[in-house]
Amino acid sequence: MTGAAPLPAPVVAEITAIEASLFVFVVVTAIVTALARDVLAAVIVFGAYSLGMAALYTFYRAPDVAMTEAAISAGVTTILLLLTLAKTTRIDHEIAFESVNWPAAGVVGLLFTGMLLVIPEIPAVGDPDAPVWSNPDVTGYYIANTYADTGVENAVMAVLAAYRGFDTFGEAVVVLAAGIAALIVLHREVFA
Amino acid sequence: MSVVDATVVAGYTVGDFLLAASAGFVLLALGMLYRAVKGPTMQDRVLAVNVLGTNTVVILAMLGAALSEPTFLDIALIYALLNFLMAIAISKFTVERGGVL
Amino acid sequence: MSDHEGSGPDDDVDDADLDDADLDADEREDADAVATAEPVLDTAMAGADERPHLSRVERQATPYTESQVIMATVKVVSPFVFTYGLFITFHGGGSPGGGFQGGAIMAAVVFMIAFAFGIDATRQWLANAAVVALAVGGTLAFAGIGLATMALGGAFLQYELLPIPKPVTYGMEGVEILGIAAIVSGVLMGLFFLLAVGFDRGDGAAVTDGGRDRDGGHDRDGDRSADAADAADAADHAAAGGDGEGGAAHATATDHGGNR
Repeated sequence: MTGAAPLPAPVVAEITAIEASLFVFVVVTAIVTALARDVLAAVIVFGAYSLGMAALYTFYRAPDVAMTEAAISAGVTTILLLLTLAKTTRIDHEIAFESVNWPAAGVVGLLFTGMLLVIPEIPAVGDPDAPVWSNPDVTGYYIANTYADTGVENAVMAVLAAYRGFDTFGEAVVVLAAGIAALIVLHREVFA
Repeated sequence: MSVVDATVVAGYTVGDFLLAASAGFVLLALGMLYRAVKGPTMQDRVLAVNVLGTNTVVILAMLGAALSEPTFLDIALIYALLNFLMAIAISKFTVERGGVL
Repeated sequence: MSDHEGSGPDDDVDDADLDDADLDADEREDADAVATAEPVLDTAMAGADERPHLSRVERQATPYTESQVIMATVKVVSPFVFTYGLFITFHGGGSPGGGFQGGAIMAAVVFMIAFAFGIDATRQWLANAAVVALAVGGTLAFAGIGLATMALGGAFLQYELLPIPKPVTYGMEGVEILGIAAIVSGVLMGLFFLLAVGFDRGDGAAVTDGGRDRDGGHDRDGDRSADAADAADAADHAAAGGDGEGGAAHATATDHGGNR
């Protein structure tokens, strides 16, 4: 599904308005999440950030990632954070935002500048000559042979469950280990 | 090939209008974001995020139509369902700060 | 669940199930007032009865507040959400999705039910055994499919060797459905219930300070930790535990509600 043909260039040119608005949205929510003084406000705005991020992923034709972002980040994480917040006291703040720690902001700015300098080297969205597309041994093989090899149409799922099945097994065990670690940290012996 | 590609006026197709409309909805989302950030009460934020989610569902549905990607609707559905969950979670949380969960 | 403030005389009401059976016991006095005000059919009255209580401060001081809107909506929505989670899981091969996303959505159904009908009631309804069976059983199923192919002389997860029709397709679906979806939904449900209980210091008292800024918060915490300590036999136990720590506070909380 996600292994569809690269986007034709005109489409990329047409959609920049939505793209730009989504970028502004995501960046603003991220900054507000970092700076909000009230934790509950930060959690709520972080939920909005996840919504924007998932829309962006959808827009870039990565529906599997968008689904994961929507289900895990917007849905589950917000609720787990809220449950944790319910166990804490609330301090009433007069100010809405943290004061900016300027040395830290400087370090972040330097990192940001460095990443901006790298961006021109990254292939354009939908560029058919990008290494990830033009690689015949990995991406090309998956796109060409997924259906013949596995009988499913979703190349992402084929990679997860078949071509890279052992990695996925490791991830599944990590998820289980996370649950057990939560039990240990909270001094509990039963989940429910 | 479909109604999305039909020309409406001056060479612009239905898909173009859908794209422009979704860009407008994203701008509306920015306005909603102001309310989510500013508050002043938690109820404002809950409503703002709820409207944001509904907004995103509309954006995704229109994008799915404009770009001929029916699978976008799957994601829009997830949004709609989990947005409801988020709304009831946050709204119940705002009463007594989670005391009534 | 059975011994919240505001229901002081009705401590023996057993409401471990998901029904709102104790509504009338909880809110007897005001139900009379409404009944005299507008005599309607019994079924219609059930909805009209709860309205005044939602605004009562006393009701808000209980650990779990029923909301007719949320309960009714969740009753309607949750089957569809669960079906959609199953669709995402089972149809992962033909459309975006898969076990991870589908498992998360199916866990979200449990969150929804917990928010609507009370987390403690949902915890008792969904036994610990179910959560553990999902999480551990999923891992074992994943490992089992992988090791079965090794036992048949191949590599880990070499689906071609499975003795079933279309072994690769159905082997992958088995891993996604039996393995990943079960693990993710089980662990997420477990995390949800764990975080809802909070930190247990070992003496049965969970560290919960939520709502300290409002009066009536302290005794509620006492009750909740007592509930958390013995989720299994909360009906009898929690009442005793609540008395030990917050018996006096119990009475004051009821007074609070009455005075306001």
